[in-house]
Amino acid sequence: MSEFCGNPAAETGEALMPTKPKFDRTRTCVKCKTNSGNLVIRHSVYCRDCFTPLITTKFRQALEPHINHVSTGPRRGALKPSGGLLVAFSGGMGSSVLLDLVHRIYCANVGSDELKGGREHPRRSRVWKRIHVCYVKTSDVFPEINDQTAQIREAVARYEGCEFIPVRVQDAFDRSWWERVSGDAASSSAEIPVDLNDGDSEPIAALKAHLRALPTPTATQSTLSTLTRLLLLYTAHSIGASHLVLGTSLTSLSISLISSISQGGGFVVPQAIQEEWISPFVKRTPETTSWSGEVRLIRPLREVSLKECTAWVWWHQLSVVGKQRVPISERTIGSLTKDFIIGLERDYPSTVSTITKTVGKLAPKGKSGMRCVLCELPTQQSVQGWKARTSIHSFADAPSPADVATSLPIYLCYSCQTTLTSKSSRSTTSLNSGSLSTTSAPDAMDLPTWAAARLAFGVGIGEEQSATTSTSTNETRESRQSLIKSLVGEFLLDH
Amino acid sequence: MKLKIEFGGGLELLFLNQRTHLIVIPSTVPQGDKNGQPGQPVDINFLVHWLKDNLLKERPELFIENGTVRPGILVLVNDTDWELEGEGGYQLKEDDEIVFISTLHGG
Repeated sequence: MSEFCGNPAAETGEALMPTKPKFDRTRTCVKCKTNSGNLVIRHSVYCRDCFTPLITTKFRQALEPHINHVSTGPRRGALKPSGGLLVAFSGGMGSSVLLDLVHRIYCANVGSDELKGGREHPRRSRVWKRIHVCYVKTSDVFPEINDQTAQIREAVARYEGCEFIPVRVQDAFDRSWWERVSGDAASSSAEIPVDLNDGDSEPIAALKAHLRALPTPTATQSTLSTLTRLLLLYTAHSIGASHLVLGTSLTSLSISLISSISQGGGFVVPQAIQEEWISPFVKRTPETTSWSGEVRLIRPLREVSLKECTAWVWWHQLSVVGKQRVPISERTIGSLTKDFIIGLERDYPSTVSTITKTVGKLAPKGKSGMRCVLCELPTQQSVQGWKARTSIHSFADAPSPADVATSLPIYLCYSCQTTLTSKSSRSTTSLNSGSLSTTSAPDAMDLPTWAAARLAFGVGIGEEQSATTSTSTNETRESRQSLIKSLVGEFLLDH
Repeated sequence: MKLKIEFGGGLELLFLNQRTHLIVIPSTVPQGDKNGQPGQPVDINFLVHWLKDNLLKERPELFIENGTVRPGILVLVNDTDWELEGEGGYQLKEDDEIVFISTLHGG
């Protein structure tokens, strides 16, 4: 009888969720059960000796089942990738650990006498014949940050057998880069009708104009991530790599998932964890089962938290070059999400893992209509129709079917549309005003080369897109009719 | 009390760009010091404030938050996670090695 819930209004202080003890049971390592523990990982205690095999096992379990084009299980002996490996390297904590693990497992240990098995055992042959390391440089866009290419090159050179490929973020607007990576000379050499602000065709100027046209710092951050991802994917494709690995840790993945969903990326949640990408310029029939240039984007550190990465760096004495912070506002969705998740990891470490595991179970509703021309991720069908029904801001903004059929938004996913048009005090673009149209407009923005090429030659936006266009046009027409009807309804005579 | 302090993961940039510091601090909280109970043995919370007042050269918000180390900084006490040692309440001993490593260096 005496048990009752307290009155929150009468209680003083903030009601906080009780924190669990930092570690379960004893200070002894949960794995070897003999050594005294050195590190707490999600309430479990590990000693330094058991920490190294723990991380390498997590790494291999996340990567190796996806090495073969058609999965045949996690057995090392059967690992036969279709192409090479490209390691994305920013110089940050995650990618430093990633490169170290790739080298340690697939280069340094090969041929070691410590390995079990005979001379001809598959374990003694290299899984990847060629390993490339790609760094995307952003310092040309932001004079405030230093060019770290030399330090990055030096860091990569410490790992024998890894070839360094530097890429500049402005290469996304560079036709000569596009000619090198697209492998489609016909489309690249033709005149691509991309509007260039003030007539300056320098890639850096085009990129700056593109970023200037974005409405918010969040959009700038998101666009830089998208450009980096596509630059890496096209680079991987151009060197014949079948796998692209990123140093996204469990913590970074949770941050990017929450951040992406908040920016309208819910439809591509599965791709945010792992992605199978193929250049839209590669001709491939649905019956094709063999490898035809696909790049599998994998995050092998997705089970390894940032704290574990840090401990790895410290205990293996890795030198981290350091990823420089891009000088844009810290009040972006990405930065705020990062602050939240990092704080969460300290107080409730298991919750961060729960985010990734829960999001990993989500599947988008509905079919994908096509791939977005900007980010090349699957696009939900009839995004335009849905937006027209739910977000008419003023009568003047109501799209006409003709606008919808000819403007850029129909080729974009919801997330990219949001990135380009999200409202803020700086927002000047309007989704259906024609300012993002591919036809000449006074304030038209530059597009990355892959987007411009696809729009110019209709690559990958054929039948599926036509269906989408027709659906969205019909839906828009219906929504427009119902809007007009509601406006003039009181003047109509009932029959 | 002599201590060896090490910074990593970019934190050293806030501390004269020097990774290792050998410091001497009082073994008990001095009278009039608001970072602890005067006369009590010093702990890591005291050390964090001492570092902020005596060694930190710029942007204290990147090192300290709400009276303790900012989330995202891994602290090792003699090569062991400070969460196993009682975090900020760990009482420092002569010749202890305390490592602060920032995890916020991107992916």
